[in-house]
Amino acid sequence: MTTTETRTAADVRSPHPTTPSHPPKSPYEWSARGFVAPGVILVAVLLYLPLLWTVYLSFTRYNGLGSPEWVGLENYVEMFADAGFLTSAANTLLWVIGTLVVPVGIGLGIALLTWNLAGGIWLRLPFLIPYALSGIGVGVIWSFILSSGGALDQALAVVGITDPPRWLLDAPLNTVVMIFASAWQGVGVNALLFTIGLQSIPKEPLEAARIDGAGGFRLFGSVLWPMLRPLTAVVVGLSIVASLKTFDIVWAMTKGGPGTVSETLALTMYKETFVNSDYGLGSAVAVFLTVVTLLASVLYLRQQLSPKREF
Amino acid sequence: MKSIRYAVLVVLGLFWLLPAYLLVVNAAKNPMTFTTKTSWAPTDFHLFENIADAMALSGLGDSVIATLIYAVVSPLIAVMVGAAAGFAIVALNLKHGFLWFVVIFGGTVFPLQMVLLPLFDAYSRVGAYDTRFGMVIVYTAISIPFSAFVMRNFFTGVAHSVFEAAVLDGATTWRIFVRLYLPIASSALVAIFILQATFVWNDLLLGLTLSQSDNVRPIVTTLAGMQSTYGGAQLSTVLAAAVLVSLPTVVLFLCTQRFFAKGLALGQY
Repeated sequence: MTTTETRTAADVRSPHPTTPSHPPKSPYEWSARGFVAPGVILVAVLLYLPLLWTVYLSFTRYNGLGSPEWVGLENYVEMFADAGFLTSAANTLLWVIGTLVVPVGIGLGIALLTWNLAGGIWLRLPFLIPYALSGIGVGVIWSFILSSGGALDQALAVVGITDPPRWLLDAPLNTVVMIFASAWQGVGVNALLFTIGLQSIPKEPLEAARIDGAGGFRLFGSVLWPMLRPLTAVVVGLSIVASLKTFDIVWAMTKGGPGTVSETLALTMYKETFVNSDYGLGSAVAVFLTVVTLLASVLYLRQQLSPKREF
Repeated sequence: MKSIRYAVLVVLGLFWLLPAYLLVVNAAKNPMTFTTKTSWAPTDFHLFENIADAMALSGLGDSVIATLIYAVVSPLIAVMVGAAAGFAIVALNLKHGFLWFVVIFGGTVFPLQMVLLPLFDAYSRVGAYDTRFGMVIVYTAISIPFSAFVMRNFFTGVAHSVFEAAVLDGATTWRIFVRLYLPIASSALVAIFILQATFVWNDLLLGLTLSQSDNVRPIVTTLAGMQSTYGGAQLSTVLAAAVLVSLPTVVLFLCTQRFFAKGLALGQY
């Protein structure tokens, strides 16, 4: 231990907010590069390189044999002219809206109901169990329930409905019921996140509002909801991004069918690429999906990267 | 007021459990006498035989072992790699640290669909297609961004004097990382591990794209294949397989619920 070391150690202290933006040069620069390298390399090689390759392929005609042939925007033109693609884009939009309204809404409701309630953790449990299931697991269960003459139809027959809708066979009903199946799975985690948010609300404003006579919906509208806003932005952002990528449940329940009526963009991309071997078109769909996802993520990222997070 | 809340929650909770009830009851029915006409009534208890059948019939047994490897090894590596990145950026004050953080975290923003085809293509060329090694690597890469995100946040909350004190004691950065920062972060590390292990266990898309053989193919992908191959009489076998596939993650979640909520709160969304 020498005086030099003491001084350098002090220099490493993270820069005070009022000091100029340039941090003092760290004596650990090489060591730090070594620590960050594995993460950067793995992510770059396995995520970024493929990503760029997909962007390139979206401008080519390629079936996996030979080499890709540059065709410019042809795939994109073909994509937007395809009725199947438009259906799948519309279904994806339905998924985004449905996922925002149903699981986020119910999740918030459950968080509010269990808030400050003795045994709340146990009352939330039934909702958390489905969250641990895989999308395929959820799909297997709900296909069983919703198939013609399945569990739901049997239950309806008991109350006298003998001619139930064809849940999984008619569009857009099949997309709607799949959104509910996915909501069954997703409510728990939303409830958990909102609960964490509610628990982090300071007691004082709540007491003050209660003394002022606010209760029930007024308390929610004027105090809780505004204070939950940062968290809501995160939950909403996560839901949008996740719903844009919807694949598993649809794959398990309808495989996008009958025909292509219940396809989502993620499914269309998979089918074009790995079933039809139209790599160029599949890549174009993937790029479109990514652009939409990125736009939607702005909301989420803004929240994460806001200055008060102290990066 | 409170009693109404209890009533609503209990009713809604029971309603929420109905699909799980249907799954277990029908997965336990004897495939020889199984009929879809009486879904709601439990008839017999054939669950373990059905699970055994599923494991023998469809290569599910081999998939279970492969998936177990993926779900343990990949998140383990990813948590360490993510922690190292967080350590470099926060404690070691890496130059342009925030930029590097964005580079790593950015990997999580894009849909998986963007990497499927090139990975399939590249994996086929280098002989990593349909290998356990290839699957472990890709699951690791996918798990790193989230891990780096949480760990960077976590280490921001650790007083820098801890680091300085260790430097005064003459410890190397490696030693400080392994002996000091990793132990401090153990709860966050476990929380990330659980989340990522669940994610890997439940993955379908990478399994569909990058694997083929029973002993490489992840369990969920095998289940998806079973579901489209079998029907009718074997439905109870498929449902039993779904129970088997779901059980580990459900148990893991129930056991760690309290802890998990805490770990997430530490990660500070």
